[in-house]
Amino acid sequence: MRRLLAATALLAGLLSQAASADDTSVDSKRPNVLLILADDLGYTDLGHYGSEINTPNLDALAREGISFSNFHTAANCAPARAMLMTGVNNHLAGVATIPEMVPPELSDYPAYQGVLSQNTVTIATLLQDAGYHTYLSGKWHLGSTPELIPFNRGFERTFMLADSGADNWEQRPYLPLYDTANWYMDGRPTSLPEDFYSSRNLVDTLISFIDSNRGDGQPFFAYLPLQAVHMPVQAPQEYIDRYMDAYTDGWNILRENRRQAAIEAGLVPADVPMARMHTTEDWDALSNDAKRYEAKRMAVYGGMVEAMDHNIGRLLQWLKDTGEFENTIIIFTSDNGAEASDMTIPGAALGMRITGHNIEYATLGLKRSLNTIGPSFASAAASPLAWYKFQVGEGGMRVPLIISGPGLEAREGFDHAFTWIADLAPTILQMTGTDMPGERYGGKPVHGMEGKDLTGLLTGHADQVYGPDDFVAYELAGNKVVFHGDHKIVLHAQPQGDGQWRLYDIVRDPGETADLATKHPALFQRMLGEWEMFEQRAGVQTLPPGYESRRQVSINALRKMFPNTILIFLLTLLILTPFAVAWKIRGKNNRA
Amino acid sequence: MKIKILRILVALPAIVFVSFGVRWLVAPAGIAPFFGMDLMEGLGRSTLIGDMAAAFLTLGISVLTGLVTERRTWIIVPAIFMALAALGRVLAWAFHDATLATSMIGPEILIAAFWFFASKHICEGEKA
Repeated sequence: MRRLLAATALLAGLLSQAASADDTSVDSKRPNVLLILADDLGYTDLGHYGSEINTPNLDALAREGISFSNFHTAANCAPARAMLMTGVNNHLAGVATIPEMVPPELSDYPAYQGVLSQNTVTIATLLQDAGYHTYLSGKWHLGSTPELIPFNRGFERTFMLADSGADNWEQRPYLPLYDTANWYMDGRPTSLPEDFYSSRNLVDTLISFIDSNRGDGQPFFAYLPLQAVHMPVQAPQEYIDRYMDAYTDGWNILRENRRQAAIEAGLVPADVPMARMHTTEDWDALSNDAKRYEAKRMAVYGGMVEAMDHNIGRLLQWLKDTGEFENTIIIFTSDNGAEASDMTIPGAALGMRITGHNIEYATLGLKRSLNTIGPSFASAAASPLAWYKFQVGEGGMRVPLIISGPGLEAREGFDHAFTWIADLAPTILQMTGTDMPGERYGGKPVHGMEGKDLTGLLTGHADQVYGPDDFVAYELAGNKVVFHGDHKIVLHAQPQGDGQWRLYDIVRDPGETADLATKHPALFQRMLGEWEMFEQRAGVQTLPPGYESRRQVSINALRKMFPNTILIFLLTLLILTPFAVAWKIRGKNNRA
Repeated sequence: MKIKILRILVALPAIVFVSFGVRWLVAPAGIAPFFGMDLMEGLGRSTLIGDMAAAFLTLGISVLTGLVTERRTWIIVPAIFMALAALGRVLAWAFHDATLATSMIGPEILIAAFWFFASKHICEGEKA
């Protein structure tokens, strides 16, 4: 009843805001929705969240709305997007992980298709059926076959990247497993313009989509899944220049500075402990040239975040100029935590040779640069949390969430309630007065939404949406986690982790420094029991022995690039081996 | 040393032929155009893949067997096969309107001749 009242109050607020707005600019009674998804943005990468990076537009959005400190998402891309679009657990939605990481042994299991199952319905479909214009400009990564592209999953207009990522400056793949960067316009393959830069062009396209139907009386749902700040980390030169001196003190100082700023902002408790990741290198041991190089890698990252903020600012300003802003719910978040991939490691050069990239200092972040920030700076981007993308530590799963819009009162500081990526879909439906899907939709069975409606938190009518009997479980590549109240049990699979379950209080110790498993054995056991039930329910499979996600990406890439060549090589080798052995034996006998 | 180099030179085309044979079995669509062929359908495809794979694998394996056993017959027969293939191509051009495939005929004659003469030196010990 309390939630019903909260939702009613929110909807009433939204409708009254809309009615009082300028009639020429706000044609609909229902609110527009702008959903902005950054890619691989770290927990403290925004100014409002404790960053030194200049993000005035997102900071202003946060001040005007509600910011969340305890929002969790999946630990990598497609699973997060599947839950965001459907409100359904990613395993049930067919996206246990990205398709590039699926081992062939599991590719027949429904949960491991790596593309969004037809047994789910997207919020775009639901909103479109409810009379919304639906637009997408950016990365999709939930399937590229005709029936899976967003044009056929509820989006009316789309400018879409099908892949896990791509170059930000031109139509160029960033991984050798792609022949090209697969961009689509309204369901058909398309080419990028010469002067492309991802954040700028994605925003421009979204504006053109919204503008094309503006004033026809229908509200819009606009989804902006940006490429920023996924690798290649690239930014315009003028943005890079602003950060050239910002990171010369190294990752340890940056991580500590971010921790202090996060404490001052009220994001984390004042005494929050912080672990040092075992993957963090010794900054002081680096040569001056190496320090200079590392500092520039991160300067490009800072520039890319600011460029993203600048272009989001342009979009928000356009909404204001056209009178749509006051009637638009704006949601900003990231698909997962900071990315620790490192293109400076041995072996990366071969991939870059194939894609035509380099990591030369002079052009870091510019065209043809496959810049990354590596695990040490990624750890700082996630400060004060531990771990990063692909891992189920808080650094991989806890990201910023900002919600602003009509009917929502600005709130200082942060809402500290636990929230989950699958909650956003039902929240959007609730805020737009759109019905949730039942067990069937469009004539076929669909999974019901599992996420919680957050409107109670948004209106201040609730402190929590997850109760004492609620659990949220998640798995990625053998890394497992269960959230419950203030706690979390977590298992980091080998080789990155030790394969042991641990219990943490992620409210008082979000850095996951103190294992409480022996202190709270009953809670620990109860959460382990929940994991086992989830494993069964969601169809989580045991990974093949020796599975390692990044190695699997390379193997799958080789299989895709040379599917027959490898088999031909192996069979030829098989036939030749007896001759080689016989030749060797004969040689030995002759010598004897 | 001279014989060792000769053995390697004889083995190289044999290894290539083995890989051609495997390619016909594994990815025929990729190798068929190399020989100016379409993959055909039904029985034609079956014959094409089966016979081409068998021919190339037999060629390669025979020569390698000859190198290991030092019995000349194992190398002479593939050399004759290659020479007849070249002759067949010329006759196909002369009487059946086929293209004069000099890019194929040339290597086939060269390889046949090389295998024939090289086998003489490699298998000298066979008489003894």
